[in-house]
Amino acid sequence: MIEIYHLYQQYNDEMIALRDINLVIDRGEFVFIVGASGAGKSTLLKLFLREVKPSRGSIKIFGRDLVRLRNREIPYLRRNIGMVFQDFRLLQDRNVYENVAFSMRVTGVSVREIRKRVPLTLELVGLKDKVFKRPDELSGGEQQRVCLARAIINRPAMVIADEPTGNLDPVTAMDILNLLQEINIRGTTVIVATHARELVDRLQKRVIVLDQGRIISDQERGVYLNAR
Amino acid sequence: MHVRSLLYFFGEALKNVIRHGWMSIASIAVVSITLLILGSFMVINYNVSLLAEDIKGQVQIVVYIEDETDEKLRSELQRALVAHPELEEVRFVSKEDAMERLKRQMGDRAFLLEGYEEKDKNPLRDSYELRTRVPEDIPRVARELMNLPGAGYVDYGSGVVEPLFQFTGVIRWIGFAFMVGLALTAVFLISHTIRLTVFIRRKEIMIMKYVGATDWFIRWPFIFEGLILGLVGAVVPLVIIFYSYQAATQWMQGNIYFISLIPVDDIMQELVRVLAFLGVALGVLGSAISVRRFLKV
Repeated sequence: MIEIYHLYQQYNDEMIALRDINLVIDRGEFVFIVGASGAGKSTLLKLFLREVKPSRGSIKIFGRDLVRLRNREIPYLRRNIGMVFQDFRLLQDRNVYENVAFSMRVTGVSVREIRKRVPLTLELVGLKDKVFKRPDELSGGEQQRVCLARAIINRPAMVIADEPTGNLDPVTAMDILNLLQEINIRGTTVIVATHARELVDRLQKRVIVLDQGRIISDQERGVYLNAR
Repeated sequence: MHVRSLLYFFGEALKNVIRHGWMSIASIAVVSITLLILGSFMVINYNVSLLAEDIKGQVQIVVYIEDETDEKLRSELQRALVAHPELEEVRFVSKEDAMERLKRQMGDRAFLLEGYEEKDKNPLRDSYELRTRVPEDIPRVARELMNLPGAGYVDYGSGVVEPLFQFTGVIRWIGFAFMVGLALTAVFLISHTIRLTVFIRRKEIMIMKYVGATDWFIRWPFIFEGLILGLVGAVVPLVIIFYSYQAATQWMQGNIYFISLIPVDDIMQELVRVLAFLGVALGVLGSAISVRRFLKV
């Protein structure tokens, strides 16, 4: 699903964000990417979404070569990747239903299909009763559930979560991770970049540790490893 | 583009206008006020130009013919005038006609002319009244005509005509400069306002990009929104100008009848063209250009 070989990412002459990254993530995996701020987590996620192009090396997602991907093909790549953000990034002037429906609308799905699928997905993330609330009327956990619903509504092959629990209390954070696990069990690849040590240790999933732009550890059933 | 998507984009644009109500009102207000100032000035400018043209159009050359000039010279003169490429109108006024006209002009005091009406005693002369195609050519053409065989005294109001033409020329240039200046100001203000409406929603654009919206899918609602804001912003000043100008022309007709204003319909045709075009073009272009800046995610 994701194949990265000898990938380097350099923003300017001095700063090298990623060095010689080699990484394969298979369909249906649940992967944590951990590391201190500035270790290169965000850069890696940006590469997955083709927000940036690698300076050197190769990266393939769903068999597509992202180095050669044309700009107008990027939207179609992203429709196959559900994104979950630390700061939720919901459209503040639209209610829960509209926020989730928008993500479907973008792909050109019919209104009938949207009306059918949005309520089902909102039920799945436990927001059946908040359909017409606006983001500012929701708690942090609820907003993250909307974000999650939005990420999976198009049935993407992969969900990427960037610090999904960063703004949440531990109990709510565990709820969100459980939801991510549930999504994973249904066959979606899930990649979570995080700082949350206890959660990583508890879930016993594959853990990739980044430090100063390098992968220093990549273990099945791994734990949060402190860099040096 | 499908009709369905077109309707969707237009619907989204309408919803956005309503969702961001205050920003929409502010944008429409800026567009309206700038176009109102521009439009009002255009109305004034057109009328001043018309007045100037009107005054200029009344200036004519009169070529007098001495009584003793023989028929041969007279017909030669007529041929030369009629064939003259720069003359638009050549009208012969006999001395009898001139007397009639003078009597009419003197009205109650026409009795003073009694005794001068008979042919031998008429002190007036036969003449040609001429208009040039371009009023500004009058002084030059008049000087040329003096040399024609059979032409007597040539009168074109020298000394008065030249400053008049200078004055109308200056007025026209000032009007033109002001209009260009105001139009540029309108372009600047409106495009910046529209850009601001896009700028405050740059996060929204970024989110759209993350969920896989194509650039055009993001752009269209903004373009329609710019169209709506620009169009509404243009309609408001047009309505205001229409009613106030109508009132002004009616008042002028009743009070200052000797100055005629351009009819409402004529001036509105021109204004609708300019203001609607500016409003719509700036709204659409302003949106499209500012969205582009935030699409690079």
